[in-house]
Amino acid sequence: MTDGTTARTRHGAAALTGLVLGLLALGPGLARGFLLSYDMVAVPRQPLTAMTFGLTGTLPRHVPSDVFVAALSAVLPGDLVQKALLLAVFVLGCAGAAALVPTRRLLPRLAAGVCYVWNPYVAERLVLGHWALLLGYAALPWAVAAASTGEAKRVARALVPAAIGGFAAMAIAGLPTLAIAASARGGVSTRSGVSARGGASARGGASVRGGGSASGGLSGPWKRWGRGVAGVVAVVVGSSLPWLVTGWLRPSGVPGAPSAVDAFAPRADTPFGALGSLLLTGGVWNAEVVPKGYGSGVLVFCWASLVVAALAAFAGRVWRADRPAWGVGLAVAAVLGFGVAAFGVVAAPALKGLIELWSGFAVLRDGQQYTAPLVLVIAIGAGLVADVLVRLVQPREKEGADALAGGVAVVVAVLPVVLLPSLALGAGGRLRPVEYPDGWDKARAIVRDDPVRGDVLVLPWATYRAYPWNGGRTSLDALPRYLGRRVVTRDAVVVGSTTVPAEDPVARRLDPVVAGGGPLVPALREAGVRYVAVDAETGPDAPWRARLAGAETMVSGSGLVLYRIPDPARPDEARAPLLPTALSWIVMVTLIAWSFVTQGTTVTRHIPRIPRRGRAP
Amino acid sequence: MRIAIAAIAGTLLALLTSVSVVHYTNASQESPVIKPLYNYGSR
Repeated sequence: MTDGTTARTRHGAAALTGLVLGLLALGPGLARGFLLSYDMVAVPRQPLTAMTFGLTGTLPRHVPSDVFVAALSAVLPGDLVQKALLLAVFVLGCAGAAALVPTRRLLPRLAAGVCYVWNPYVAERLVLGHWALLLGYAALPWAVAAASTGEAKRVARALVPAAIGGFAAMAIAGLPTLAIAASARGGVSTRSGVSARGGASARGGASVRGGGSASGGLSGPWKRWGRGVAGVVAVVVGSSLPWLVTGWLRPSGVPGAPSAVDAFAPRADTPFGALGSLLLTGGVWNAEVVPKGYGSGVLVFCWASLVVAALAAFAGRVWRADRPAWGVGLAVAAVLGFGVAAFGVVAAPALKGLIELWSGFAVLRDGQQYTAPLVLVIAIGAGLVADVLVRLVQPREKEGADALAGGVAVVVAVLPVVLLPSLALGAGGRLRPVEYPDGWDKARAIVRDDPVRGDVLVLPWATYRAYPWNGGRTSLDALPRYLGRRVVTRDAVVVGSTTVPAEDPVARRLDPVVAGGGPLVPALREAGVRYVAVDAETGPDAPWRARLAGAETMVSGSGLVLYRIPDPARPDEARAPLLPTALSWIVMVTLIAWSFVTQGTTVTRHIPRIPRRGRAP
Repeated sequence: MRIAIAAIAGTLLALLTSVSVVHYTNASQESPVIKPLYNYGSR
């Protein structure tokens, strides 16, 4: 960096690095077409339906992310929206993590940014299709920076990507902000000197001044602390209302399924066991999404060494008196997140018991996702390692030291990419764009133009597919997002030999009929089903054909067969109430708009002003 | 001394890159696993 380089420029450099990494990671996946991978489904133009808002029987995991995509796909092609969102994860994540490293040197910051967006956590969640969760992951560093000031408006702005992402995104980005807000303000009241210095490195000016004044004894700072924490809580809750309300008021409740604890518990993808794998930022439950070549050979030991060094560097920095204001809070969030992730491994029976007690604890089943704060700690630590190395090899009095120091920092910065090459080029070929077969478009038009009401039932009676036109790669059935009607699939999921029961009450009600071997048309007509769409096993010998006698074939292709059932009954489905749902949306949108009303700040302001002792690389 | 550090760092990076590429290429050439058609995943 030159002396004239501004903080904003450094921010831009990190964002550009994130963009380059995103382009590298997606690679051929950036070509026109749709990426269908596990839970990630994109369609040409996603309609806004009751399901999009979480009003139908399924749990609102896709709220409000699907609404956001549907709104964008009204003005942009759906595949471009998908690619833009995925690239945004890399740009936001890299820039946010880079800005948190307490140094003025650019390369150590970039090392942190690279490490944050190029690691097993991102690779596994990307292939698993958890783009909405990754939006929260990208927002986390920004939320960390904002939360340390206790300014609710800044927190609300930082959490916008997580608010769009929905439940999982808010869980990994919103909850850590509470720990950080609490610890940052607590520091002011108890160790003002420490916090004053820490605040200086993380734009804690406002809080430090507030705490430092302390003219009214403990009551003043504690009051401000309480207000700050309450503000952050209000922002997190307010940003979560659309899925909180629809999930809470869902007529059929929230099914717990304790049996799924074992299916979604973290697993070992390295020689270090499940806990070690979690510590190395991997350990996702699904063996199929582990990056190719990861977890074996000398490379995993190199990665483990980097992680250990990064953790040590972060711990050393947090231990110092001039730690960043968010240091302790982030460390606490990382430890708690790791503890939650480990819960399903070391205490599975206890977690099952908790879920039986209250089904809401089911959100802890896929625990690996909660290690996001730990990944951020490791990324910042990697930046600190690079910074230490630069200082070691950069004698101030020597000419030409910059190149060497820069070279050492570059080595640390590119290490994550070198050690995990299988994230590159479409996650090692797992993200390949495809087009939907011709029959799909025709079916959508028929369903859209039909004035007769009625649901669409999807066969085969399962919710995940391995479409041949998608290279046999596993993906969620795309029809619920492709068609503009209520689509019923059997949303029970099968993991290995474990079947997690269906959540959709309509699917549960129809299960005996569809899973049986009898004629389907009379029962489906009575249940209010207007169409049956078969998007796999569409050959002439398919067993469905005989069972659908009496239904009219509207589309018949290798990729989709659409049947129409005459005179269906009016669908009768209990839905989440409209008024509270509408109010929840009003609150969230107002909250986001409010956060942008006056000039906020970005993490650019968190860049510390450390006195220079020499030229930084 | 600095030249030695640069040489070591460069060599280390080149070595790791080579090992990484070979390792990844080898992993990519493993026989594909036949997966059940309607499963979410496997452990």
